Amino acid sequence: VVFTFTAEHEALRDAVRSFARAALAEAELRKAMSTPTGFDPAVWTRLATELGLPGLVVPERFDGSGAGLVELAIVADELGRALYSGPFTSTALAAVALLASGDAAAQADLLPGIAAGDTIATAAIAEAEGQWAADALRCSATVAADGWTVRGSKHYVVDAHVADLMIVAAAVGSDVALFAVRTDAPGVRVAVVTGFDITRRLAVVELDGAPARLLGDVADGAQAFARVLDAACVLAAAEAVGGAAAALDMAVAYAKERVQFGRAIGSFQAIKHMCADALLDVESARSAAYYAAWAIDDDGDDLATVVPLTKAFCSDVFFDTAALNMQVHGGISFTWEHPCHLYYRRAKSAKQLWGAPSVHRDRLATALGL
Amino acid sequence: VTGQEIEMSIRTDVRAWLADNWDRDLPHDEWQRRVVESGWAAPTWPVEYFGRGLDADARKVVDEEFARVGASGTGIDVMNLYANTILAHGTKEQKGAFIAPLAFGEHRGCLLYSEPGAGSDLAALQTRAERDGDGWVITGQKVWTSNAQEATHGMLVARSDWDVPKHRGITFFWFPMRQDGVEVRPIHQVTGGAEFNEVFLDGARVPDANRLGEVNEGWRTLQTALGFERLIMGAKAGGNTGDRRPDWTPEQQAEADRESPWTRQVGGADYVELARALGKGGDPVIRQEIARLYTYEQVNAWNALRAGAESGPGAASPLASLGKLAMSRIVHSGVRVTSELLGAESVLDGPDFPEAAEVNRSAFAAYVSSIGGGTDQVQRNIIGERVLGLPKEPELDRSVAFRDVRKAPATRRFS
Repeated sequence: VVFTFTAEHEALRDAVRSFARAALAEAELRKAMSTPTGFDPAVWTRLATELGLPGLVVPERFDGSGAGLVELAIVADELGRALYSGPFTSTALAAVALLASGDAAAQADLLPGIAAGDTIATAAIAEAEGQWAADALRCSATVAADGWTVRGSKHYVVDAHVADLMIVAAAVGSDVALFAVRTDAPGVRVAVVTGFDITRRLAVVELDGAPARLLGDVADGAQAFARVLDAACVLAAAEAVGGAAAALDMAVAYAKERVQFGRAIGSFQAIKHMCADALLDVESARSAAYYAAWAIDDDGDDLATVVPLTKAFCSDVFFDTAALNMQVHGGISFTWEHPCHLYYRRAKSAKQLWGAPSVHRDRLATALGL
Repeated sequence: VTGQEIEMSIRTDVRAWLADNWDRDLPHDEWQRRVVESGWAAPTWPVEYFGRGLDADARKVVDEEFARVGASGTGIDVMNLYANTILAHGTKEQKGAFIAPLAFGEHRGCLLYSEPGAGSDLAALQTRAERDGDGWVITGQKVWTSNAQEATHGMLVARSDWDVPKHRGITFFWFPMRQDGVEVRPIHQVTGGAEFNEVFLDGARVPDANRLGEVNEGWRTLQTALGFERLIMGAKAGGNTGDRRPDWTPEQQAEADRESPWTRQVGGADYVELARALGKGGDPVIRQEIARLYTYEQVNAWNALRAGAESGPGAASPLASLGKLAMSRIVHSGVRVTSELLGAESVLDGPDFPEAAEVNRSAFAAYVSSIGGGTDQVQRNIIGERVLGLPKEPELDRSVAFRDVRKAPATRRFS
């Protein structure tokens, strides 16, 4: 039932939150950001071995925990709160894609490695135009005697620089299909691009006739693609909720502590009312993200409205709250040393990834019958 | 005995009683009297005051059973905030005297709280209560009083001590309305309706026996009464304020009253219908605005759903305090969208232009949400201070004798 968090859910949340407090504090984040990969492989190993996070959504028969989107959302929420820079969401999404493809053989081959934390994976959907939509795919796949190859370029691919495996969406004639592509395969070139969100690495991936494994049937490709996109949007929304909640917590804590004109600035209604409005937004975003996660797990018939609504709203709320956090902090938010800008960078970028709010609202309008 | 067994036994009792007593053809008054006498009208009240001494879970069972047969009459233990306040703060004598006529509907109440000079800052009220023998003499003005014409009594807060800070000099009364010195005048609203009144009190009297709580401790009684009012607000979902124009014929009124999609505030699909009917479904601005409005409605519905799931024992959800702001955002956004959809036609009004009339009516009605029952700004203070723990604004009148505090004018005739 929607919004009924079980003891297991709470235990998962507590475990991830305490881990994040200890191992993903700001100092760790800053240290990781300065490394070439942008995250700490030792922490990733601990996330896998101590918490089993990469295998959360992997079925038990492939050594995972067999959880659903609700559990992934809980983790994304908590890791988003800490601005975790490692490839959790990317890898989880690749696992979701493998499951959505219905390709039992590929699942048996690839999911155990993901569950063990040995395979880092990501999903490559958007291209130069920056659209996350089936009808925008120019990347194409063709089949020959020795198997499928993919040609084209993928943009805004999160964590591609450390991924072993990529789930690539490509056109097959007028159809769409998902493919598994190894990043060390011939014809694959991954180039990290400079991103505004310095807590997360993005890459352009060139696929020059790269060998690819077709996942499932081409006939079912469009459906699998839609499921991946839905999951990606909901995970992005959950991450946004965590980030927004953290930004609001920071703003409120600072408003209580910072004194000007002889009193804490949080006593000024100009500040207080912004924070109250932000609380309504953050709590509403939380409701949306978890409602959407439950809707996906329950295979709800309202996904066509719920998912775009949730992605648009949560993205906006994260950005607005991160922006408010800058404003409440005043001058100090303009310094490199203060974490305000890290949340702002993540929020401003996350708003665009997987489709901008206006794009999703337009999609919602269509789903409503406009 | 488990909770489930208790529930089952209550259910059996209510069913048996309804089977013996429910008669669709009974006049309403007669039926109501029967329900009150049985104790099912107010299951959570004490047995000696027409209740059954049951808890809130039990009252849900009673509600369900009454609803199942389509009977009215239960629930006065939620809806009658006057009796609830008297039960909470009254003496044995007061309960004995005041509860029965309220329960049987012979007495009806109204709220004499707000004043022209005391709106958001209710504790700044200036209506005077002066001791005179075994009673009090009341002089001043109250506003925004619903049902003042029909009321036999009002819950009145008045200033009994001017030499202490504002919260500490207020006394609370169960005040008789039908007397000389009480003048009720309807306030004409921007919507054309007149749901509220102003009440002028000029040397009106109330016996000391009608004082609820100690002298100068009325603020405490008031907090209890406000709590019961919020309970009712929570029990009612939304509600249309209705539109009345004195110059409309009954036919015109009926036309204005008919269910119009323009008035629907929940369910974006209605706006979708209208946008399509007006050929604006492809307008990118309209598409964005409708999607936003639909989003505000949906997240609010989901918040309510989540608040329900979260409200267990000891788990107070912060969501409860947010609903009012959410609703204001929805209704004001709704007006923007419908006005935008209607375009130039929204400058028209009246029964010849029912769509425009509805849009313009709802434009004003939106302020019921953002001003009525406390402004959104006061609500933001409450959220900021009680939920987020932000410090209060310094209060210039906090520890000053009320006599010396800067005050707004105590009276102002609106009608």
